Amino acid sequence: MVDVRGLVKRYDKVEALRGVDLAVRAGERFALLGPNGAGKTTLFSILATLRAPSEGTARVLGHDVVTGRDAVRRAMGIVFQEPAIEQRLSGRDNLLLMGLFYGLKTAAARQRATEILTQLGLADAADRPARTLSGGQRRKLELARALVSDPRILFLDEATLGLDVDSRRGFWAQVSLLAAAGRTVFFTTHYMEEAEVADRIALIDAGRIVALDTPRALKARLGGGVIRLQTDDDAQAREWLGAHGLAPEPGGQELMLVHADPAAVLPEVLRAMPIKVHRVSVNEPSLEDVFLKLTGRGLGGDAPVPAGPRAGGPNRGGAS
Amino acid sequence: MMRGIYAVMVLDLKRFWLDRARLIAGLAQPLLYLFVLGAGLGASSRLGGGDYQRYIFPGVLGLSLLFTATFAAITIVFDRQIGFFKAVLVAPVPRAAIALGKIGAGAAQAFVQGLIVLPFAPLAGVPLGFGETVELIGAMLLAAVTFSAVGVAFASRFSSTTVFPIVSNAVLLPMFFLSGALYPLASTPQWMQMAAHCDPVAYAVDLMRGALLGRFFFPVWLSLTVLAGVIAVLVAASVRVFNRGEDDSALGATKFNWRR
Ligand SMILES: Nc1ncnc2c1ncn2[C@@H]1O[C@H](COP(=O)(O)OP(=O)(O)OP(=O)(O)O)[C@@H](O)[C@H]1O
Ligand SMILES: [Mg+2]
Repeated sequence: MVDVRGLVKRYDKVEALRGVDLAVRAGERFALLGPNGAGKTTLFSILATLRAPSEGTARVLGHDVVTGRDAVRRAMGIVFQEPAIEQRLSGRDNLLLMGLFYGLKTAAARQRATEILTQLGLADAADRPARTLSGGQRRKLELARALVSDPRILFLDEATLGLDVDSRRGFWAQVSLLAAAGRTVFFTTHYMEEAEVADRIALIDAGRIVALDTPRALKARLGGGVIRLQTDDDAQAREWLGAHGLAPEPGGQELMLVHADPAAVLPEVLRAMPIKVHRVSVNEPSLEDVFLKLTGRGLGGDAPVPAGPRAGGPNRGGAS
Repeated sequence: MMRGIYAVMVLDLKRFWLDRARLIAGLAQPLLYLFVLGAGLGASSRLGGGDYQRYIFPGVLGLSLLFTATFAAITIVFDRQIGFFKAVLVAPVPRAAIALGKIGAGAAQAFVQGLIVLPFAPLAGVPLGFGETVELIGAMLLAAVTFSAVGVAFASRFSSTTVFPIVSNAVLLPMFFLSGALYPLASTPQWMQMAAHCDPVAYAVDLMRGALLGRFFFPVWLSLTVLAGVIAVLVAASVRVFNRGEDDSALGATKFNWRR
C-alpha cells in the first residue's frame, strides 16, 4: 500500500525527514504518532505528491510518488491538517467541483456528492456555505472531499484537531466504516485514544521512526507498570531512586519510573525515601509513556484540547 | 485536460457569481471615465464634447476589460493561500489545465463586465447597429482573452497579495495610457506611437474602435496577428510557470505558503 524507503526531506535549513522507512499494508489502520515538528505532515505531503523527496523513494499502491504522480493522485484521498474546502461555497458545490477535478462528468459528480453527503450524514447541511458549518461538520466535509476520488487509501493528517470528544467519536466511527469496507487508513493524531485503535503505530521523532509495532506490543515493551511520583524535591528524589537501584526516566516534566512489578517496590520506596511524597499513581503504560521512554521527551500535543501550549516541548509549532 | 480546464472555470465562475455585486461596482470606473473625464476633457478637446465621448467609448470598454481580467487573475495569488487549492493540486489535473482554466475564467468575467458597459454606448453618442455590435463583440472577446492572459502571466509569478496590485498598477496604467484609449494615437508624439506599437492594449482598443466607429489606426490584419501572437506567448509562459512548480513552490510561486 505504502512503501517508504530511506526517505529524506530537506527544506532550506531544516532536515524534516532523516531516513524514514515504513510499510503500510493493505486494509490496515496505521497511525503515525509524534510531537509537533516531527515530520508527519512532511511525510504526508510527499506521499500525496505535493512535495518531492530529497532522497529515498516512496510508493503508494505500487506507484512511485515522483514518476507515477498521476496514478498516485487518482488512487488516494487526503484530509489535510489545515482546512481545504472553499468556505464560501456550499458543501455540495465543494464536492461537485472535486468530482469535476477528478474527471467525472457533471451529472456523475453531482450524484457522487449526494452519495457521500448522505453516507456521512451531512445531507442536511450540504447546501449552506461551508463557513456556516460547525467544526465537526466541517471536518466531516473534509473527509467527504477526500472520498470523492473513491480512494483505496486515505491519508488523514490530524483530521480531528480541535474537535470535542463527541465529534471525534462521530468522525472515527465514519473512518472505521471506511476501513471495514477495505480502505487503508494512514493517519496522524495527537489524541492517544485515537492512536490506540490503529492496527499498527509508528512513532516518529525529529524525522526518524523510533518504533513501529502494534499498540499492544509497543506498550509491552515497557512491561509492568508506570509509577509517577510528586515530591517536595523531584531532583533529589530522582537521585535517591537512582542510588537505590531504580531507574527513573530521564527528562520529562514529572518523576516517572517504569517497573515490572510496581506493587512490590512501591511500599518500600514510600517508607524509605527521605523526601516527602505528595502523590503517587500507578498506571498501565500508555503510548505516551512508550514515547517518553524511547525519546526522553513527551509527545507534547496530546492534551485533549490544544488550548494554551504547556511549558516545555521546544518544537511546538503552535496549535497547528 | 479539457475536464480540468472546465473544472477550474466552473470553480472560478461560481465564486465570481457569489461576487456578482462587483459587476455593478465595476461600472463605476468606466462610467467615471466616460461621463466625467469624457465630458470635462471633451469640452477642451479639438474633437468637441460629444465627439470626444464617442471617441473614448471603446477605450473605456478596453479599460473595463483590462482591469476586470487582471483583477480576476489575482485569485491565483489568493488561491495559493487557501486550502481548497491544495486539494486541487493533489487531484489528477494537469497544471497546464489550471493555467488555461484561469485564463478562460478571467476572460469570461471581463467579457461579462464589458457587456454591462455596452448599453451605455448610446448615451455616449455611439449608436449600436447590428453589424457593429457583432464585430465589436468579436473584438471584445479577443481583448478579454488577451488581457486575461496578461493578468495570469503576471499573477502566476507572485505569491503575495500585497505586492501584486502594486506591480499590476505599475504595468496596467501605462499600458492603458499608451494605448490611445483616451486620445487619438495619430496626433501623439512620435515616441508614444512607437510605444503604442508594443502595447497589446493599443491593438485591442483599436479593433474595438474600428468596429464601432470604422476608423482604424493599425491595419486590422496586424492587430489580429499581434493579439493572437501575444495570447500564444503568454499562454505558453503561464503554462510553463504552472508546470514548473511541482515541488515546494506548487504553482510556480517563489514560495508556496504551505504552513500559512
Ligand atoms: N515549507 C517549509 N519550509 C521550511 N521548513 C518546513 C516547511 N514545512 C515544514 N518545515 C519544518 O519541517 C519540520 C517538520 O514539519 P512538519 O510539518 O512535517 O511536522 P509535523 O510532524 O506535521 O508537526 P505538527 O504536529 O506540528 O503538525 C518542522 O521543523 C518544520 O518547521
Ligand atoms: Mg503536521
